[in-house]
Amino acid sequence: MSENVYLIYLISFIIGSIGGLLFSYKQHGEVFIYNKIDILALIIAIVGWILLINFNFLIFILNPIISISIGLFLIAFVIGMRPGYGRYETFLAIVISALIYGLSSLLL
Amino acid sequence: MNLMADIILNVMVAFLFGSILLGFHRKVMARVQLRPGPPIIQHFLHSLKFFFKETGIPRTSSMPFYISITVILCSIWVAAVIIGPVNHGSLLLLFAIYAVYKIVEHNSGSSSGSPYGKMSCVRAVFSASSELPLFAIIAIIYLQVGSMNIGSIVAYQDINGPLIFKLPLVAIVLFILILSKSPYSPFGITKGKDIISGYETEHFGLLRGYIMLSESISWYILSWVFLTIFFGNLSFLSYTIGMLVIAFLIGLINATTPILNPNHSVMSQISIAILGFVGSLLLMFVVF
Repeated sequence: MSENVYLIYLISFIIGSIGGLLFSYKQHGEVFIYNKIDILALIIAIVGWILLINFNFLIFILNPIISISIGLFLIAFVIGMRPGYGRYETFLAIVISALIYGLSSLLL
Repeated sequence: MNLMADIILNVMVAFLFGSILLGFHRKVMARVQLRPGPPIIQHFLHSLKFFFKETGIPRTSSMPFYISITVILCSIWVAAVIIGPVNHGSLLLLFAIYAVYKIVEHNSGSSSGSPYGKMSCVRAVFSASSELPLFAIIAIIYLQVGSMNIGSIVAYQDINGPLIFKLPLVAIVLFILILSKSPYSPFGITKGKDIISGYETEHFGLLRGYIMLSESISWYILSWVFLTIFFGNLSFLSYTIGMLVIAFLIGLINATTPILNPNHSVMSQISIAILGFVGSLLLMFVVF
């Protein structure tokens, strides 16, 4: 694996984390009270994990480097949110994308 | 690829990934202690922050040593990147770099003029006497492989399988070395909270930025060396998973273990090194 690609992945992860942190501080200025799933964060997490785990099935549409970079950016956006936020969304997204990976592997 | 570009890319990767790993380590510690903990990129953000903060120089500091020591600290870990991931050079050189790192740690404390720094400087000598025997376990790798060159060690594993199955005690000893280098380590006497931040206490702003930069690189390099000499030629994904597992295990240990006092720390590490050394020789020449 070339270091260039490694660096691109790292940078997209870090930019995503910083973006997520700034975004969640803008959304939630209050003391941490968490009792519902944020739909927007859930959609971002699902798209991110699907792009990361299922990049092999998207090879006809997207170059793997691009899909993994975008996937890492979106994953980091949710993981990097203010401490406490984005955990359930990430967990659900991992389950959904793993299911999609499993189904795609069986069907294709 | 051009050698210079290769070095710059590897140093950047080492810094970015090392700081994410340290952030992950801190997150694991926090979750074990039932705290939410800071975001994973907190260590990276801290490092960046220090580069833009005002740099103060204490009146009691020993100039220009006080400033140059941070640059030397950074340079030796950049040299480690060149010897390790870039060139697959000799383990002996990495051992030498670790020895110089312990001297720099000592001098960093003494140059600040702070009593905490000086205390840490004395402890750095203690810890060098225990951490260097831990690193000296690489002599066993030489006896097994017949070479200290990382490239040769990787080639040996391609033919004979991962060294971790042949030299498990050596792996444990080197793991203890990584553990002793980690933040909040039970063996981290030079940065024990009883002496504030030890040798780092009186380094502010840009100088602290250099120290944090070198900490990230050193964490990446030690993990890389561990994975490369015990598992051979790994893919990008395997290195990532391996480094995350190391950071997770060390975070778990650090979160549940108090910092030992200097005497206990040194004696524990030396005992582990001796047991690892003798045990590995017995395994090599008696059991196998």
